[in-house]
Amino acid sequence: MPNLIEVQNLGKSFGDNEVLKDINEVVKKGQVICVIGPSGSGKSTFLRCLNVLEEPTAGKVLFEGNSLTGISENELNNLREKMGMVFQSFNLFPNMNVIENIKLAPLRVKKLSDDEATKQAQDLLERVGLADKAEQYPQSLSGGQQQRVAIARALAMNPEVMLFDEPTSALDPEMVGEVLKVMKDLAESGMTMVVVTHEMGFAKSVADEIWFMADGAIQEKGNPETFFNAPKTERAQDFLSKILI
Amino acid sequence: MKKKSFFLVIIVFLLALIIPVTHAKAANDNYLQKVKDKGTLVVGTSADYPPYEFTAKENGKTKYVGLDISLAEKFAKDIGVKLEVKNMNFDSLLVALETHKIDMVIAGMNPTPERQKSVSFSKIYYTGDQYMLINKKDAAHFRKIKDFKGKTIGAQTGSLQYSLVKQQMKGNDVKGLAKLNDLVIALQSQKVNAVAMEEATAKAFAENNRNLKVIDPGFDIDASQTGSAIGFSKGADSLVNAANKTIDEVKKDNLINKEYIPAAAKNMTTNGKKNSMLNYWTYFAKGIEYTLIITVVSVFFGFVLGTLFALMRLSRNKLTHGLAVSYIEFVRGTPLMVQVMFVYFGIGAVIQSLPALIAGIIAVSLNSAAYVAEVIRSGIESIPAGQTEASRSLGLSQKETYRYIIIPQALKNIWPALGNEFVTLIKESSIVSIIGVTDIMYQMQLVQSATYKGVIPIFIAMIIYFIMTFGLSKVLGYFEGKMKHA
Repeated sequence: MPNLIEVQNLGKSFGDNEVLKDINEVVKKGQVICVIGPSGSGKSTFLRCLNVLEEPTAGKVLFEGNSLTGISENELNNLREKMGMVFQSFNLFPNMNVIENIKLAPLRVKKLSDDEATKQAQDLLERVGLADKAEQYPQSLSGGQQQRVAIARALAMNPEVMLFDEPTSALDPEMVGEVLKVMKDLAESGMTMVVVTHEMGFAKSVADEIWFMADGAIQEKGNPETFFNAPKTERAQDFLSKILI
Repeated sequence: MKKKSFFLVIIVFLLALIIPVTHAKAANDNYLQKVKDKGTLVVGTSADYPPYEFTAKENGKTKYVGLDISLAEKFAKDIGVKLEVKNMNFDSLLVALETHKIDMVIAGMNPTPERQKSVSFSKIYYTGDQYMLINKKDAAHFRKIKDFKGKTIGAQTGSLQYSLVKQQMKGNDVKGLAKLNDLVIALQSQKVNAVAMEEATAKAFAENNRNLKVIDPGFDIDASQTGSAIGFSKGADSLVNAANKTIDEVKKDNLINKEYIPAAAKNMTTNGKKNSMLNYWTYFAKGIEYTLIITVVSVFFGFVLGTLFALMRLSRNKLTHGLAVSYIEFVRGTPLMVQVMFVYFGIGAVIQSLPALIAGIIAVSLNSAAYVAEVIRSGIESIPAGQTEASRSLGLSQKETYRYIIIPQALKNIWPALGNEFVTLIKESSIVSIIGVTDIMYQMQLVQSATYKGVIPIFIAMIIYFIMTFGLSKVLGYFEGKMKHA
């Protein structure tokens, strides 16, 4: 499997506060990686550095061999197209209805025709189970529905990788399942995914690899079976003992 | 008869600092030749001063009439050019002269030594007495200066009468207003007990209002201070000499008393007969037209520039950010009135042909832009960062993000505030009347002068402004409803 994302000596500081410390990792094509760890460990910042929503203060991030830092805005936009992102707070555009949300980037960035974009958007809505909501506005949808639309919106750009930043943390418990199901289907279709999550059940069953983060560094990684059954580091043991019931 | 106000001195002083035009031109006097070359004599006046200068309606058109205008017409004819009258506030006349917006001032102006420092005057062409206008019911106890002890006297700000009252009625309060019409309203509503006024003007007001009366309070008048003369740019001797020739002829034939004043009186009485407001609806219609032009154009440019300044202010570039902040703070920190005058007289001194309407639009647009910029900035800052992040993560550029995501949402949030700003703009645009733009406010003053009625035109103007602002509010409300999803 070729390397899709390479993280080299990545560091990020906000003023004196060093959030990420010298991270070196590789995401291979087709891999599903779940990033877990205590809050404040730098998981979200790490994920946001992958598509440079946060500008790294040290090291670099390569996507398909191309550096994401130190390039023009235009080049960055071209690379970002291929990296879909789903946020904790959905961030749907409230001034557009569901299908317009999905069509926006294909129309404006990919320059698809309206017919193509509409067709594609309808297919995606079908895939996330919301075909009947195309004309609704985001505010009238439940959180779970909004997040599924957000996933469809990111998929509309046919990304090479999907980044999920705690996609179920803002949801009521009864809606978590519907979103995780969509993500699981996506993983099974072969999509490369990096998921920051607190859903250990999901991580266990879907991830190819678990990255455990604490104190701004990846402390331990491995396949879910090994990690959850026999964590090697004390930090991971401590963390798991607190969250596993 | 009227004196240069302190405000004017400051403006002229500032302009003289910035634009040293006058001195260069005074060296070789080709003023007369220049006027002949362009074929037009541009005369500045303040047409609310019957019988010297005022407006009358003829065949539905407004024209400037009065003895000064008749004299200016003869002068223009004598030097073989056309006459163009520019009407403005008396206070603005000398600035306009210094900045070469006009070739001469004829406005019953008195050649005081103070004015002679900056203006070249012709001979005196007419001398009038200084009278007092009072309410008829007070006629029994107000006869002479001494009868007014402890009373309040009104006079036009910066005028000769104002200083006469100051000097010779020391025990009295002087109430100064810029417009004679406003003074007469003040008299009728007992805010002042009398208004000091030029003889002929006072008589005109009394003739048109049964409740007013003219008295001669017996001011001690220095003859050299009461005559009226024509003002020219300092050093424009060729024009002064030509004007003196005309004045000599006029004096020889006694044209002013024989022809000009009777003609003016005729205009004043015909005006008096047509005092119904209905006869003046065209005045207001024209005012509405100009107010609308100013408002619509200024709203457009105010919005475009305001958006630009808002984006500059939000920019990470320190220079553009700094420029925008300085501009916004400076414009918000200075009165619109001063800005209007600065654009007209200041920029107008560099670009001589800048019309008052354009100057007014520029000033109001630039002013509005500063306020709109702040409204838009607050709107943009109110959009959560997540919106930008979602858009950028989809590969949209910053520009596209603003265009499709941020601005549409911000616009909806700020719509009420923006609407408020535009309503304010309609009202504030009334300030351009001071540089002679014929908006509602200006036309209202013309109607006041023409009808000798003070309050009714104000009331009509008020109603017109209200209909315009209320209508706009309704239109904006309609669009607000349409944006409910945004």
